[in-house]
Amino acid sequence: MSQLLGTLKQRASAFISLFKRSPTLIVGVALLSLIIFLAIFAPIIDQYRLEGHKATDLGYFEKFLPPSLKHPLGTDHFGRDVLGLHLTGLKFSLIVGALAGSVATLISVCIAVIAGYRGGIIDSILNGVTNSVLVIPSLPILIVVAYYTRLDLVGMCLTLAAFSWPWSTRVIRAQVLTLKERTFVDLARVSGQNGFEIMFAEILPNLIPYIIVGLGFSVIGAIFAETGLRIIGLGPPTVVSLGLLLQQALQYGLLTQKRYAEVMSMILLLISIFISLNLINKGMDEAFNPRLKKVTGQ
Amino acid sequence: MACESERCMSMLEVQNLEVYYESVWGNYKAVDGASFKTHKNEVFSIAGESGCGKSTLVDGILRLIKPPGHIPSGKVIFEGTNLLKIPEDELRGIRWVKMAYVPQGAMNSLNPIIRVEEQMTDAILDHGSMSKEEARELAGSMLKEVSLPVEVARMYPHELSGGMKQRVIIATAIALKPILIIADEPTTALDVVVQKGILQLLESLKEKYGMTVIVVSHDMAAHAQIADRIAIMYAGKVMEIGSIYDVFEQPLHPYTKGLISAIPAIGKKYVKGIPGLAPSPLNWPQGCRFHPRCPHAMDICSEVEPTMKEVSPERHVACHLYQ
Amino acid sequence: MSQSLVELKNVSKVFRIGGGLGLTSRRTIKAVDSVSFTIPSDKATITALVGESGSGKTTIAKIILGLIEPTSGEVLYRNRRISDWLKKNRMGYLREVQPIFQDPYSVYNPFYRIERELEKVIKKFKLASSKAEKREIMLKALKDIGLRPEDLLGRYPHQLSGGERQRFMLTRILLMKPRLIVADEPVSMIDVSLRSIFLDHLTSFEDKLGISCLYITHDLNVASYVADSILVLCHGTVVEEGPKDAVIGDPLHPYSKLLVSSIAIPDPKRRWKEKTDLTSIESFENLKVGEGCVFSARCPYAREVCKQKAPPLVQIRSERKIACFLYSNFK
Repeated sequence: MSQLLGTLKQRASAFISLFKRSPTLIVGVALLSLIIFLAIFAPIIDQYRLEGHKATDLGYFEKFLPPSLKHPLGTDHFGRDVLGLHLTGLKFSLIVGALAGSVATLISVCIAVIAGYRGGIIDSILNGVTNSVLVIPSLPILIVVAYYTRLDLVGMCLTLAAFSWPWSTRVIRAQVLTLKERTFVDLARVSGQNGFEIMFAEILPNLIPYIIVGLGFSVIGAIFAETGLRIIGLGPPTVVSLGLLLQQALQYGLLTQKRYAEVMSMILLLISIFISLNLINKGMDEAFNPRLKKVTGQ
Repeated sequence: MACESERCMSMLEVQNLEVYYESVWGNYKAVDGASFKTHKNEVFSIAGESGCGKSTLVDGILRLIKPPGHIPSGKVIFEGTNLLKIPEDELRGIRWVKMAYVPQGAMNSLNPIIRVEEQMTDAILDHGSMSKEEARELAGSMLKEVSLPVEVARMYPHELSGGMKQRVIIATAIALKPILIIADEPTTALDVVVQKGILQLLESLKEKYGMTVIVVSHDMAAHAQIADRIAIMYAGKVMEIGSIYDVFEQPLHPYTKGLISAIPAIGKKYVKGIPGLAPSPLNWPQGCRFHPRCPHAMDICSEVEPTMKEVSPERHVACHLYQ
Repeated sequence: MSQSLVELKNVSKVFRIGGGLGLTSRRTIKAVDSVSFTIPSDKATITALVGESGSGKTTIAKIILGLIEPTSGEVLYRNRRISDWLKKNRMGYLREVQPIFQDPYSVYNPFYRIERELEKVIKKFKLASSKAEKREIMLKALKDIGLRPEDLLGRYPHQLSGGERQRFMLTRILLMKPRLIVADEPVSMIDVSLRSIFLDHLTSFEDKLGISCLYITHDLNVASYVADSILVLCHGTVVEEGPKDAVIGDPLHPYSKLLVSSIAIPDPKRRWKEKTDLTSIESFENLKVGEGCVFSARCPYAREVCKQKAPPLVQIRSERKIACFLYSNFK
């Protein structure tokens, strides 16, 4: 296993060279980095900016203040600084996406690798499970679960993950089936490696591009699902995600009050997450697929 | 062997052809000044190992090079015209009609869902002017020429074996009775018995139709069986040209010597390889391309590139040992 | 009676194509059909298994390596079933039987540096007891194969040429020193000028280290250079067996005759004498005919009995075996 770590370090530098091949990837990663940066540091800065209050605390500032130096986007109907509030929303949306997306991808990869490599009955059973979960109407069940239980952040993320993992599984499994037929797997078998070692030390590293893409889609899917739940009023009230903020915007009729800028700000932040992840996915595709054809002439 | 002047008239003459590919790492000089001449009515072999540039050479001759590849210089003279300089529509009039091409792996490029007959007639009508009926008849008679049963016309490519597909390709290529046919690796992936059949078929094109057949392959045994003359390529250049007997019996260029003695043959006791590795098209060695691996390398070999010299009638070699 | 190293007894392998859970199969392919042969263990030999594509030779290789299980028949290694070996002493078996695969471009995991393949076997088979010793044996093995460690260690597979990669496989074999190498067309994808260097290593493994080799190929020129004896495989069945010079110089089975006369010899003075009749070698009736001899559809000497019964492989002279009714007493 120490071989794996050593190789990974060298791989990091090979990784950097990927960026040279795709401007899309650079833009996507830059945008995502900016978003994550904001999400991490905004709350820290807000400590000072908002006189020690949290951005979500109600009623500490005057309501409906126009944009000023102190409140760059003004304050809302609850007297909350809008900028701080929205960036907090960004943070929670990202956390939900990351947590639910990671868990979903983890489940997806494990199932895809085991099903693809073992084949036979195990593959059939796992395929059946995957298809069943795909077919289950996730939204109604999510609604029921959210309504009847007091979900917290982790609970909600796990529930979201439980329904979204099948989507990438099929793609990754297909890739595992291809890799399984490659001669290096035969060589690994005659070198004495057991199934587990082959699945996770030999095949898995070659799946990394697919895993990353799957992760991208899982994160987007989770944020979408969470936003969907919010719009109908469900989900933990302590997790102030952009979805929750949008729901509040609807509830308090911000659009009829012509407070367009406030609503647009929430939507733009949400969209920027999607755009950055999509750009990364597209960039990965560009970087890994048709590279310069090696033409040496035969 | 004295050369009758009619036969020695050149059919295709390539002069100092260069084919370069631009890449972020530099210029791949896949073909870097190759020259040779083929005669009428002969089987001319172009031999060389992987990376020597022989397939690119053929693409260059037929002007099939796409960007980032380009042809910086060189001449390809066919029946008096420089093919590299004529307009595209004039070239179309020559391709398939006078000069046919069987690319590497062509048998795998047959459309699996279109009947053989249709694919053949499509190609024929593309380049020749006749009615659909005539084209279909021509296709049928060509299938007979390559000893394929008449049922093949109505079949789909996936129903045919590799050798049969290759024969379909050859049948299509010779349909308009070209005077030159170029076959790139015509027997790879085919079984031994079928390989013999295909090679003998190509040889018969020379005998029956008076065609010039250029065979490009890394398989020296294939050349030994059917070629009249052979050109040996290494590192983007032609190193030696001569009759097949001369080149095999008395190879002049050290690379040719090494290559011939490296091939296992039934009954051959002593086989010796060439040490070292083939160089990269990004960075051909200074001077003679072969000098790093050459057992006879002299000082001049690492400085000055040897030019191709005719050391006896129809016998050329590019080596300082003979200059 | 000398113990055999590898013995195949009526081994067959049937592949099913299509069908979901494997319950409804749509087509079966009999890749290997009742193959029997023995590789002796009294001294090291190189046995060439010669056959064309679709003859089943790669399947036989995988069966011997333990990668595929036969559908029927027995495969014995040192008189013990391979299935037994793999269940009870897998590492012991792998220690003695190792492959060289055909394609140097897909045999290495592209994610890792190439020396990982050496490190893997050193660790798994406990070939070294310390890091220093490990490095020492790796360097020695590389040098023995004539490779420069500085050119290969630390490199990724795609940075090396096909010839280097294939020779690296030889280094792996040298480290392990198995008793049997199963080599599947090891030189068909490397340059001609490098092939003899590779093949010479196999013969030196045989002479100096006592390592036997089952050399699988379609190229009789290569088989004649490297092998001691030849097995001719046709459509999944062994049709002839004998010493190399005998089988190539005086082929007995009609298929062997066809094969030997079709081989392209790289010598313009030894050109083919006869023209191949294309209509006879590739017709739609080429497929194996039901129960009879695998070659009966194409055989110029085929008789009624050939289409009905498969001739057994019998010994007709010392060291020469053949499966053909022309040579046996069966009627």
